[in-house]
Amino acid sequence: MRPAALLGLAALALGAAARAHDGHAPRPEAAAGFPIPPPGSYRLPPIKPAGGGAVLDEAGRSRDLLGRDLPGDTPGITVLALIYTRCGDVCPLASAGMARLQDLAATDPAVARRMRLVTLSFDPEHDTPEVMRSFAAAWRSADPAAPAWAFLTTPGRDALAPILAAYGQRVDARPGGTLNHVFRAFLIDTGGRVRNIYSLDVFEPSLILTDIRTLLLEDAGSGGARGR
Amino acid sequence: MLVTEPARADETCQSPYMAKITGLEDFVYVWTLGVEGLGDGSDKLVTVDAREASPTFGKPIHAASVGGRHEAHHGGFTDDRRQFWAAGLSDSRIFIFDVASEPAKPRLVKVIDDFVERSGGAAGPHGAYALPGRMLIPSLSNRDGTGRAALVEYSNEGDYVATHWLPTEAAPNGARIEATADGYGYDARVLPRRNVMLTSSFTGRENYMRPLGDLMKDGEAMKRFGQTMVVWDFHARQPRTVLSVPGVPLEIRWAWGPQHTYAFTSTALTAKLWLVREDAHGAWSAKPVADIGDPSTLPVPVDISLSADDRTLFVDTFMDGTTRVFDVSDPDRPRQIYEKKIGAQLNMVSQSWDGKRIYYTSSLLANWDKTGVENEQFLKAYTWNGRELAARFAIDFTAERLGRPHMMAFGAAALYAP
Repeated sequence: MRPAALLGLAALALGAAARAHDGHAPRPEAAAGFPIPPPGSYRLPPIKPAGGGAVLDEAGRSRDLLGRDLPGDTPGITVLALIYTRCGDVCPLASAGMARLQDLAATDPAVARRMRLVTLSFDPEHDTPEVMRSFAAAWRSADPAAPAWAFLTTPGRDALAPILAAYGQRVDARPGGTLNHVFRAFLIDTGGRVRNIYSLDVFEPSLILTDIRTLLLEDAGSGGARGR
Repeated sequence: MLVTEPARADETCQSPYMAKITGLEDFVYVWTLGVEGLGDGSDKLVTVDAREASPTFGKPIHAASVGGRHEAHHGGFTDDRRQFWAAGLSDSRIFIFDVASEPAKPRLVKVIDDFVERSGGAAGPHGAYALPGRMLIPSLSNRDGTGRAALVEYSNEGDYVATHWLPTEAAPNGARIEATADGYGYDARVLPRRNVMLTSSFTGRENYMRPLGDLMKDGEAMKRFGQTMVVWDFHARQPRTVLSVPGVPLEIRWAWGPQHTYAFTSTALTAKLWLVREDAHGAWSAKPVADIGDPSTLPVPVDISLSADDRTLFVDTFMDGTTRVFDVSDPDRPRQIYEKKIGAQLNMVSQSWDGKRIYYTSSLLANWDKTGVENEQFLKAYTWNGRELAARFAIDFTAERLGRPHMMAFGAAALYAP
């Protein structure tokens, strides 16, 4: 059961002050509250290499973060969110944003098949594969048309450290067990390069889906969004 | 701002993508121009102790010298606030300081010295504005020294990402042009919930590195100053509208209120406060809404600072060394409510998120600062009670043999402490 209240809160918090549209399903532009540029009309220059590394899936199986052996995978575009499940402020909003992205992508199966969502915990002591499986059950869509969404953790701090370093993600433990961090999510192309970085300020599902379509057009050789 | 991260205390006028300080600022970092024969003569990042219970409260407690003079000007933190990027206008170097490991003692960890080459010819990096995982560096100039400018992106790791040139009439890049498109740059600031970025316009290296007295006598050179602001589709990094804002619009301050879709700027040569706003149909326009002092005396407005409640705007004027406070609760009709002469010359102003602590510095540019006894170089700290400023402390940067203090940014050890 997905936390509907959080989905609504995320929509509000992410600037998706949804406007009524006479009963029609809201278009992406309407949900965003501002015009969405057409896919392929802009560039997404490569920012840096994306980092792989040893992770565990919800069944506890060893995987590589950027490997193509994750559940439901075909080569595609990845949206990677770094969170921890005990987080009481930004992470639930981030997960709600990922859920909205999954729902939106499900409306375009051709795109959904060529993308995946990945949520990676940076709290391996608490976020075991069992915890991530339970967490996934709360957030992941049951819609068969939705893109795959993997919930991963790491075997421990040693495996986690190089992944966090690759993404420039600092996590500091605070008294009481909370983890101090700035939320970021990463758009990773099929070549393993980071092409966009999102904070919650810009975690707008319709924009991210447009970025994904832009990269798919680029892969198809018909987009104007070649890197540099 | 519809964000996301818990509301906390901090200085206003920073990137909305940045981590915020919890509680009061511990330090004020001051990016300071070196002066030949004064101390080590080099540009430096000075740490001022702002902890009232500290025995060194109100004193400079550390100076991280970068070696040499580079026309230190503006800078900014990365989104995670672990680094402070400080730019030099003369030779286009960018100095990256680690402020997280030891917040009282920032440490220079990297120098970007190929900005011009990597950016494809942009020069004169002005500020450093945090984006998620990246920094946006607006330039003032280019390798030819004119005012054609660009926005240059780097990763937080200091690697070049992209260059976006300001639109000109010859290369509008799809933008609608109200009157002219000069291609000049200065400030760049984003309103995330509207996917809008605004840029303003100053002048090129051929002007800003020239002694002000000479420049003012050169009629042709004085024509080469910014007259525009550009509204961008931020996500696409594409210019949409080039607004006509004559008189050199400089600092941009977005309102913070979730329903406030407007920004203020001031024009240096015409001494006016401008309002840039989106209408109900999504169209953007700019209009002058107030005079700043007596424009006929050329007071030269420089830095401005908007309070977190969008009600109070501090406006500094360089020539008369005065700060003016406007009630901008009705943004169409700003009303001056207070003024105070801070010194013989005045440039930057920073205020805390709660609006109670105000900091000022004096230097504009090495060749534009006043000379002789009027060349006061200071940081002065005040409290603001809504009616008047009261002095907290002052630091004479010349007597301390530090240099010309310019950009200020707040630091706090609690951001990084376990």
